[in-house]
Amino acid sequence: MQLRKPRRGRVSQALALMTANLLAAVGAHAQDASPGPMDAAQAASVTSDTETDLGYTRIDSAVLFYQEAGGRVRAIEPTLTATLNSNSGDVLSVGIVSDTLTGATPNGAAPWKQSQTFVTPAHPPSTTATVTTASGGSTLVTIPGTGIVSRQYVVAPNTLPVDTGFRDQRWGLNLGYSTLWNPSTRLSVGASASNERDYTSASFTAGVAESFNQNMTTAAASIDFEYDLSRPFFGTPTPFAVMSADQKGPVASKTVASLVVGVTQVMNRYWLAQLNYSVGTTNGYQTDPYRILSLVDPTSGAPLQYLYEGRPGSRIRQSLYFANKLAIGPTFADISARAYIDSWGIKSVTAEVSDRIPLTSHFFVEPEGRYYTQTAASFFRNYLVSGQPLPKYASSDSRLGAFSAVTWGLRAGYDITPHAELYLQGESYKQTGVTHPPGAIGGLATQNLFSGASATSVVLGFSFAFY
Amino acid sequence: MSVRLATPPHPSLSAVPEGLIYSFRAMASPCEVRVDSFDAGMVARLGEVAEAEALRIEQKFSRYRPDNLIAQINNANGAPVEVDPETAMLIDYADIFYRVSRGLFDVTSGVLRRIWKFDGSDRVPTRTQVREIMPLVGWNKVIWRRPFITLQPGMEIDLGGIGKEYAVDVTLLKLAARTKAPVLVNFGGDLRVSGPRAGFGRWRVAIESVDREGVPEGMLQISHGALTTSGDARRFLLKDGVRYSHILNPRTGWPVKDPPRSVTVAADTCMEAGLMSTLAMLQGRGAEKFLRREHAQAWWMR
Repeated sequence: MQLRKPRRGRVSQALALMTANLLAAVGAHAQDASPGPMDAAQAASVTSDTETDLGYTRIDSAVLFYQEAGGRVRAIEPTLTATLNSNSGDVLSVGIVSDTLTGATPNGAAPWKQSQTFVTPAHPPSTTATVTTASGGSTLVTIPGTGIVSRQYVVAPNTLPVDTGFRDQRWGLNLGYSTLWNPSTRLSVGASASNERDYTSASFTAGVAESFNQNMTTAAASIDFEYDLSRPFFGTPTPFAVMSADQKGPVASKTVASLVVGVTQVMNRYWLAQLNYSVGTTNGYQTDPYRILSLVDPTSGAPLQYLYEGRPGSRIRQSLYFANKLAIGPTFADISARAYIDSWGIKSVTAEVSDRIPLTSHFFVEPEGRYYTQTAASFFRNYLVSGQPLPKYASSDSRLGAFSAVTWGLRAGYDITPHAELYLQGESYKQTGVTHPPGAIGGLATQNLFSGASATSVVLGFSFAFY
Repeated sequence: MSVRLATPPHPSLSAVPEGLIYSFRAMASPCEVRVDSFDAGMVARLGEVAEAEALRIEQKFSRYRPDNLIAQINNANGAPVEVDPETAMLIDYADIFYRVSRGLFDVTSGVLRRIWKFDGSDRVPTRTQVREIMPLVGWNKVIWRRPFITLQPGMEIDLGGIGKEYAVDVTLLKLAARTKAPVLVNFGGDLRVSGPRAGFGRWRVAIESVDREGVPEGMLQISHGALTTSGDARRFLLKDGVRYSHILNPRTGWPVKDPPRSVTVAADTCMEAGLMSTLAMLQGRGAEKFLRREHAQAWWMR
């Protein structure tokens, strides 16, 4: 029998109201998770945070498989996170992550109608095991009379130049702790560190969240500091230096400081809204030490030299994020939008929608869609032209160019027990941009100069909690 | 209360195709918690939570125990008694519903049972007996200034009319906060579910015959909310061909005339369902008219 409710009588109405009040008060006394039908706030807790798991320890494990189209980057990333919830609301989380990246990444040069040969520094012979002629498609050459070992690879005509000798392994560790300072104030601190062969990063974050208006409103602020060290085995190249095997440079660092302030509001039983503003400043070395640009002939467009790229040392980013969680019938929808602007000239907009649909009480599916579009950084160049004065900064990184991207995904989850969930998520990501920019020089007019990626990813995850 | 339950004497765990059942006795009734899960450890823990809650509420609000707050209130002999917040909330609730029901729901009506003993005999009290006891009945004679309650000497209150339903609601909320699995809480036929069963299935509930114990008279299915049944079964007096129902009108001290043999009501919560079915019975011959006017989801037997 479905409870279809026509206009109710005087007694029914009075009873419904007084009973709701009584049981709400009892719920507060019992100090349990809020009773009654699942609302948007609870949906949020069910789908994301674990802070309502008072007394429970939750283990989240997942493996991400990521593959870019065209044999480009492939990543396998297992993660493991343990979240310990005390009965008094303290939350401690420890996470480890490991990435293995292999495949080819665009080196920044423009494609050309003839084959192109790139010569880069190679690891000293004692550590050359990571680059082999068989798998990397590159050759190690000792430059005669110098003892300098170079790595050379050849890119076929009319194809995007990619460096295939690319393999990296990353380890990361995250720690987080949050505690209820008083019933309405939550303090949190966190630290993380990660290390890969040529990059080390450490960060620290601290935040405070204050609930008021009977927990209907939460205001939060957090600060974040990050220190990164970029240390390619050949050092960081001087911007616009000619790419060569004999490359030496210093280790370079950058610092990031950011601030996020936000407010989360329970609009009604079915709607939770969040508004965040963040501002961050990055100072130091932000250039990609492996990335080059083609310096081309001003009439034919033929590559003459390959120069290392250079980016400004300062970047200020601001973003505004508006997110909503909605309980729509038995489903939970996430609808969010983000606007971003930075001092490099990039403006971007993101819109994202997902809807979690329970098919049974144990099984749900969650389709998602995301649209992203950005303008180019002021120093973005597909290539540099010989004979013209060099710009102060230049990069051909497609992530700094203008592009749009669409993501489609589907997540399916199964509750094996009330405290154990298995899920599988698939995503398809496709970037589009200007392939033939107007005014391309000579033979470059017929080349596809857009180096953006398309990718497919699959996440297999298992999460369980125990008391 | 007459939803069919087969309960062993001690707490036990048994299996049905959809999950596990934890059964126990409390409030002089068979009680059970059904969970659509085969995690025996979890269901046992949920069952223990339910049993502890049922026993806690029984101990706290039973009028049959000599050692609780209710006994203290009923034996205060005109002195004010201070009550705890939970008791105060239930008294507030009874106070409001006394007015909403225009005096038909009255937690002071229990003293009528001193003269009305429904044992199937013909011992109907005399008009004089009823007239003499009526000064001890009437919530309007109670002084309730939260948190102090003062009864006239000889009066009694009995929160049993809402205690079991309250226990079901509170227990269900506690269990639903601890598990995502579908749960049904049934204390002596007053029941509430956390939501649909696994696969959007409905819970099937048998309505027991009011005349023959253990014989189902109908089958209902619910996916949300609560079900309670009030009945006039097996407890009555028969004198000179007149059947005196055990449903007593606290305003007159006499049984209501021609109540349905049973009324089953569905509502969002057990307390709402229970009070609607109780109030319907108190309408006597007008029960069906009352339920229709209130647009209640109800089934009745005459």
